[in-house]
Amino acid sequence: MSAAAVYLDFAATTPIDPRVADAMQSCLSPGGAFANPASIHIAGRASAALVEQARQRLADLLGAEPHCLIWTSGATESDNLAIAGAAGFRAHRGKHLITMLTEHKAVTESFRHLEKSGYDVTWLKPDADGLLAIDELEAQLREDTQLVSVMQVNNETGVIQDIRRIGEVCRARDILFHTDAAQSVGKLPLNLSEMPIDLLSLTAHKFHGPQGIGALYIADRPGCKVLPIMHGGGQERRLRPGSLPVHQIVGAGTAAGIARDEMADDLLHAATLRDRLWRGIQDVPGILCNGSTDHVYPGILNVSVPGVEGESLMLGLEPVCAASGSACNSTSGESSYVLRALGRSDALAQSAIRFSFGRTTTKNDIDVAIERYRWAVDHLRSIAPLHSPGC
Amino acid sequence: MIATAAYNEAVRRHFADPRHAGDLQKDHDLTLVADVSESAEGAHIVMSAGIRGDTIAGMAFRVRGCPHLIAALELACRILTDQPVASLENFDSANITEELSVPVEKAGRILLLEDALATLWAQYASAED
Repeated sequence: MSAAAVYLDFAATTPIDPRVADAMQSCLSPGGAFANPASIHIAGRASAALVEQARQRLADLLGAEPHCLIWTSGATESDNLAIAGAAGFRAHRGKHLITMLTEHKAVTESFRHLEKSGYDVTWLKPDADGLLAIDELEAQLREDTQLVSVMQVNNETGVIQDIRRIGEVCRARDILFHTDAAQSVGKLPLNLSEMPIDLLSLTAHKFHGPQGIGALYIADRPGCKVLPIMHGGGQERRLRPGSLPVHQIVGAGTAAGIARDEMADDLLHAATLRDRLWRGIQDVPGILCNGSTDHVYPGILNVSVPGVEGESLMLGLEPVCAASGSACNSTSGESSYVLRALGRSDALAQSAIRFSFGRTTTKNDIDVAIERYRWAVDHLRSIAPLHSPGC
Repeated sequence: MIATAAYNEAVRRHFADPRHAGDLQKDHDLTLVADVSESAEGAHIVMSAGIRGDTIAGMAFRVRGCPHLIAALELACRILTDQPVASLENFDSANITEELSVPVEKAGRILLLEDALATLWAQYASAED
């Protein structure tokens, strides 16, 4: 990353914690734990011990039993395994599935794939704040409903869903409940031992761990199982074949331990920064905060302004690195489907900027973002047509 | 996230300092105004040309669009100012596309510029009739 860059894109990925990098480096150094943990010799057993130690650390962060965690390559794979795997396991009981329009693509595309395979998917729309109405969910449940998937923290807006209540509704009807917790694990307190969650996806790089390593939590209870979607060796309870990447797993475990120890401070820090950022831009004419302001993870602030184009706003923001409402599939120029599901117009969704920050963000970073955002909006409005369609 | 490395130095320069952005002085023999938009892409152009005799004495634009489009409009205004009015009809955007390294997926945005220039020329021709 350029030295001058001001990185406010933590929802995309977080900078790796130096303590995590050190732990990983110890595996990669000569004499480190490079051996395949599936091997039964001394070196393999040393690697396996590190893998299990990391699994325990992650379990401690989640309030889960270690044997409930399956290592994967990240949240996308976990989502795919959870959704396709659970749907497949329960297919003999029924083929009705429920999710939300505002889920991450890793979830929505998994469900669309199942739709093409003969499953019936109900797509729930959130309210204008991005929240799911529980009675709306209850109204859509059927005798043949087998799986509900609702993310805990939305990756674009930071809106927090009431996953405890959703889980209770599902558990009462013996419906599996999956949550994509990529944006919340390591950031918000979570105790799976007392939560009615059957399947939970996470990835380490969202909480200062390395990219390329994640996990799927599968509750140890009757009827809660997934079928594998990949086939090979017998690793990870025969659910996720492939040699385990020891250094990445060690990094994930270390990051989980740090997140657990520093979560309270991290949350307070994020809330302070979000408040500072919002106070600095809230008087920009027409600015709108996207998503609930009450039920929101404080490390994300998503705002739209009428009359400016998102891609130009992004360039005007430099050196601030944030995400645009036309993010993820930038070449399409398509506006955010999440914000449109909240009822935002195409133009407002397209002008959205997601600022996300965390442990290493400074107040000065936020002040630079405030200055650049205000300049960019003023600049683009000064050259815009006086009346534009959709604005 | 949009990769800003996609913008070359010319785009960055014209984006940051679009000297022809704004409104045209009203001291010309004839003022032409084109208002074109592509709602599907959210881009909107208002382009003006001030004609004195058979020369483009001044140009200005307003735009809601991506950095490439902003830069393309600025560049077009610079090229066309002080040129014969007929330049509006014969304008070739290929040079602009090349100078700004406009990616293929944004070709539609440059077509919007061509639409604006064609509209200006049609207005001029109509006024001459």
